[in-house]
Amino acid sequence: MKFSLILGLAICINIAIADQETLVLVDNLNIRETHSQFFKSLQDRGYVLTFKLADDGNLLLSKYGEYLYKNLIIFSPSVVEFGGQIDTEAITKFIDDGGNVLVAGNAAAGDVYREIATECGFEMDEESAAVIDHFNYDMLDDGDHTRIVVSPKNLISAPTIVGEHNTQPLLFEGTGLILDKDNSLVLPILTADSTAYSYNPKSQVKEYPHAVGRKTVLIAALQARNNARIVFSGSMFFFSDDAFNSPVAKVHGDKVSSNLSGNKALAVHLSEWAFGERGRLRVRRVHHNREGENESSNTYTITDTVVYRIEIEELKNGKWQPFDANDVQLEFVRIDPFIRTTLKKKPNGVYEAVFKVPDVWGVYQFKVDYDRIGYTRLYHTTQVSVRPLQHTQYERFIPSAYPYYVSAFSMMVGVFLFSIVFLYYKEDTPKTKSE
Amino acid sequence: MPATVAGKPVNGPNKGLFQNTAGFSTLITVTVLTLAWLAGFASRLFAVIRFESIIHEFDPWFNYRSTAYMVQHGFYNFLNWFDERAWYPLGRIVGGTVYPGLMITSGTIHWLLHTLNIPIHIRDICVFLAPVFSGLTAIATYLLTSELWSRGAGLFAACFIAIVPGYSSRSVAGSYDNEGIAIFALQFTYYLWLKSIKSGSVFWSICTALSYFYMVSAWGGYVFIINLIPLHVFVLLIMGRFSQRLFVSYTVFYIIGLLLSMQIPFVGFQPIRTSEHMAASGVFALLMAIGAMKYLHSLNPKGQWKQLLIVGGLVAAALVFIMVVFLTYMGVIAPWSGRFYSLWDTGYAKIHIPIIASVSEHQPTTWSSFFFDLHVLVCTFPVGLWYCIKNVNDERVFVALYAISAVYFAGVMVRLMLTLTPVVCILAGIAFSILLDLVLKEDEIIMTPSEPEESRNLYDKAGKVKKRTQEPPPPADAVLGMNVRSGTLIAFMILLMLFSVHCTWATSNAYSSPSIVLASYGNDGSRKILDDFREAYGWLSQNTAEDARIMSWWDYGYQIAGMGNRTTLVDNNTWNNSHIALVGKAMASNESAAYEIMSMLDVDYVLVIFGGAIGYSGDDINKFIWMVRIAEGEHPRDIHEADYFTERGEYRIDSEASKTMLNCLMYKLSYYRYDSGGSPPGYDRTRGSLPGNRGFKLTYLEEAYTSEHWLVRIYRVKKPDEFNRPRIPLAKRTIPTSNAVSKKTSKRRKGLLKNKPTIVKGKKVGRLE
Repeated sequence: MKFSLILGLAICINIAIADQETLVLVDNLNIRETHSQFFKSLQDRGYVLTFKLADDGNLLLSKYGEYLYKNLIIFSPSVVEFGGQIDTEAITKFIDDGGNVLVAGNAAAGDVYREIATECGFEMDEESAAVIDHFNYDMLDDGDHTRIVVSPKNLISAPTIVGEHNTQPLLFEGTGLILDKDNSLVLPILTADSTAYSYNPKSQVKEYPHAVGRKTVLIAALQARNNARIVFSGSMFFFSDDAFNSPVAKVHGDKVSSNLSGNKALAVHLSEWAFGERGRLRVRRVHHNREGENESSNTYTITDTVVYRIEIEELKNGKWQPFDANDVQLEFVRIDPFIRTTLKKKPNGVYEAVFKVPDVWGVYQFKVDYDRIGYTRLYHTTQVSVRPLQHTQYERFIPSAYPYYVSAFSMMVGVFLFSIVFLYYKEDTPKTKSE
Repeated sequence: MPATVAGKPVNGPNKGLFQNTAGFSTLITVTVLTLAWLAGFASRLFAVIRFESIIHEFDPWFNYRSTAYMVQHGFYNFLNWFDERAWYPLGRIVGGTVYPGLMITSGTIHWLLHTLNIPIHIRDICVFLAPVFSGLTAIATYLLTSELWSRGAGLFAACFIAIVPGYSSRSVAGSYDNEGIAIFALQFTYYLWLKSIKSGSVFWSICTALSYFYMVSAWGGYVFIINLIPLHVFVLLIMGRFSQRLFVSYTVFYIIGLLLSMQIPFVGFQPIRTSEHMAASGVFALLMAIGAMKYLHSLNPKGQWKQLLIVGGLVAAALVFIMVVFLTYMGVIAPWSGRFYSLWDTGYAKIHIPIIASVSEHQPTTWSSFFFDLHVLVCTFPVGLWYCIKNVNDERVFVALYAISAVYFAGVMVRLMLTLTPVVCILAGIAFSILLDLVLKEDEIIMTPSEPEESRNLYDKAGKVKKRTQEPPPPADAVLGMNVRSGTLIAFMILLMLFSVHCTWATSNAYSSPSIVLASYGNDGSRKILDDFREAYGWLSQNTAEDARIMSWWDYGYQIAGMGNRTTLVDNNTWNNSHIALVGKAMASNESAAYEIMSMLDVDYVLVIFGGAIGYSGDDINKFIWMVRIAEGEHPRDIHEADYFTERGEYRIDSEASKTMLNCLMYKLSYYRYDSGGSPPGYDRTRGSLPGNRGFKLTYLEEAYTSEHWLVRIYRVKKPDEFNRPRIPLAKRTIPTSNAVSKKTSKRRKGLLKNKPTIVKGKKVGRLE
């Protein structure tokens, strides 16, 4: 368990640092120019981008069972069917095998997008539907009120994903997303304001829109159970140079205005998170021992005092550095947790707990399960057995048994005395009889 | 084998002829006993010759594993062994929950041989321990019977016990179980008890207690001894046969035996805290009271004292009884355990403890199995019993009680046939000995009609015991003619021949299968070995992680631990019913509910036995209804037995089976991907029907291994990230998507873009689709 986890993490790191191969699927190569700033930021951080047309007949994700790319960017809303060996199934398999995906669409996005979205736990609104907000649209809007201004307050409060300094208003134009409510893994990164809804701007509203108000999610993310990350944006415009450079000015309401939208900062942050540059934790070392000993042991005796230490690291700027938190908990589990305690923080990312093993023998697990939004799930178990006392470890003399000790020894003395008396009498009686 | 049996009738007259030479009769005794030992040993080797030198069945695998552990790590480490591989995650303290006599015995033999520089593997010692001990049992039976009746009867009994199927069923080579050595200990303890009660010596009583200690260390059946001996004493008291000998032998035996038995960690304080052992202490108290009153009586032997003695005895008995009842009521003494109750009420286990009723060994015995296990002895032992009661003395009271109680227990449980077999052999030996005495001695008289008195004198010299046997015959014998006698003799010799043939046949055919290696016979008589169990356990040990946890029904726990060396959740030491019920619940639930239980218990692999392909009837589907019953006992809200039957109350697996049945985990794991078993493919040969649910897929598990004949199927439990991507199922989607058919062909792999300039009217095409 421990080894495989560390090994798996080590492989991840190698891939992340050694080859940051990224496949970018686009409608036309023009997108390379219209979204140049976003792509440039990626290239600056060391990603090797491979641009391919989405209908290219030679598209490949994996060869001979090895993935050619670690990350996948899909910026091709008009795709009806991917070319080559890529289809929804191949993409979901890519995700299941740990690949990261960034998808951006627009109002015209087709069913392929919808398929990918539903595989990840969210849904994209109908074709040609766009998010409309008659109260929060930008000055440069062309009349449909689809180029909306979103306040950074609508961002999810997870600094690992969205960064800490999002103060500039954001520009968005595209479809809304709907989240599966039962699903705890899906994160609404950016939601629309309460006045927004998602519908075809060209037609009259006849049916109740699928997404209304704050339930309209603009950007959604998923961190799957295998720590693969998917960011799904309803708007490709959001990542464009146009949006990055554009000034923002709301027409109604508080008339928020800014010289520059906050899109760039957010987009870069999102890509950093999505491609695993941030929010990644790993266990560097686990050590547990009896208090007062140094050697680690796999067997403890009931009511031993145990010291458990775990060293956790976080990936920051491409380097593994000590992780800093104060809510890491440890459980000592045998089917049910017998002990649950918060680990004490020590220097250098070491967390420590000292506790007394319960008075129940069995096979236990030290379990650290640290699952926080934005971070990869840190799950580490170590199995130890807790055994009962050995036959030499029981108390030899217990106070409540003293009456019995006394009785046993007095009996011995008594028998000894009695036998002397008996023998003495044996010799005596014949004399008296003979006399 | 026939040679030994036929050998005896020869030494009958020999003994008569060479009565003077004591050495000659000793020689015959030794020869017969050696031959009996050899015959018993040889007849138990069928399994080794046909298959190989392996450990059989289920429990022996645990015994073997712990013996190997003890040999490797030493006795004290064995005593303190906490086995974290069993009963995950509870663990098992092996040293404190096992009768260590078996392991110590074979460990001692191993040590002894290695000290003598004979390098033998511990497995071979384990395999051949039971056959070797069967010879010791024969000797102990000989001693016991000679104590009761005569040496001739003893030789008969020894030969019977050496080959009788009722005993060899538990002691063939490879059947390395407690019973193998316990029957010897049982017989030997009884022999020493009779010896001590006869002589009234402290020495023999202590020997009895030591032998009892060995029995306690070897088998839970020691309870039989500690109840039968007090019963014997009690009956002797009622019969007015109180004597100083009885007083000395019982009190010494009881106190020393009690102290010694408490030294076994598994027994611990039970001898003074449980109802099963209270009869012994009650009789002890009673004996003390009567001894005291006898003493008072001896001080002043007058008329009224005798009445006082009787009244006092009754009062003392009542007092002891009330005391025990009161202590039980107070909770100082534990009431009878469920296993014990099921001996009195055969229906009790079925209602209250399904786990006991589920074992085929615990079913009531049928008449046919009485005959199968004992053959002619079952018909002749009442004769011996009758003679014992007719010429009663202190020892014969004992054997009568032994016979009656053992017959009762053997009738309640198939397994307890084992305790009946020795006493049947003893009594049948007595019966045959009487018969031969009767027939052959008359022969002698006719041969030497002139000096009958002299021959009588010779008999008198031989031993005191002979005297008694001689008393009944004369009037009846005189009537018998030569022809009748020789006819009877021949008839009985034929019977004994048939008996030995039957014994060999039964041992060879019914009791010599290792059950982990199966053999099937083709139409041309060719033998085919099905080695699926070892194949699968070998796969487990080679291809799974060292600490992988295997879930299976408890029957296979010991084998997985012994052969696969992997952690198991439940095993044949069924000490924790609720843990077993949890496994039963997982097997009886549907896949998703089972997955919850399995992830709670950290299960990595699930192992099921499926016999449908080869028609093996002892598979998990046939045992499944017991799993359901045991699970229902602990989880009555989730599992209902009736759900697994059809509306008409039938247990079936075809399309008419109930929905719960067709979707439970056990069913799915058994029939997943199953397409063998003859025509039509997927036909279940064991149940003789076609499974009702086929072609299904598994979400939470994946097939890891299936053995050659589909007998063992192993599945891997998936980790949450392997199947748990939060996909929105079609039914829950709010926005429908059209099912586009791919236009890609093997040659043209190009995709499709909506508004790509090269495709004319691309958008319209896209929409039309």
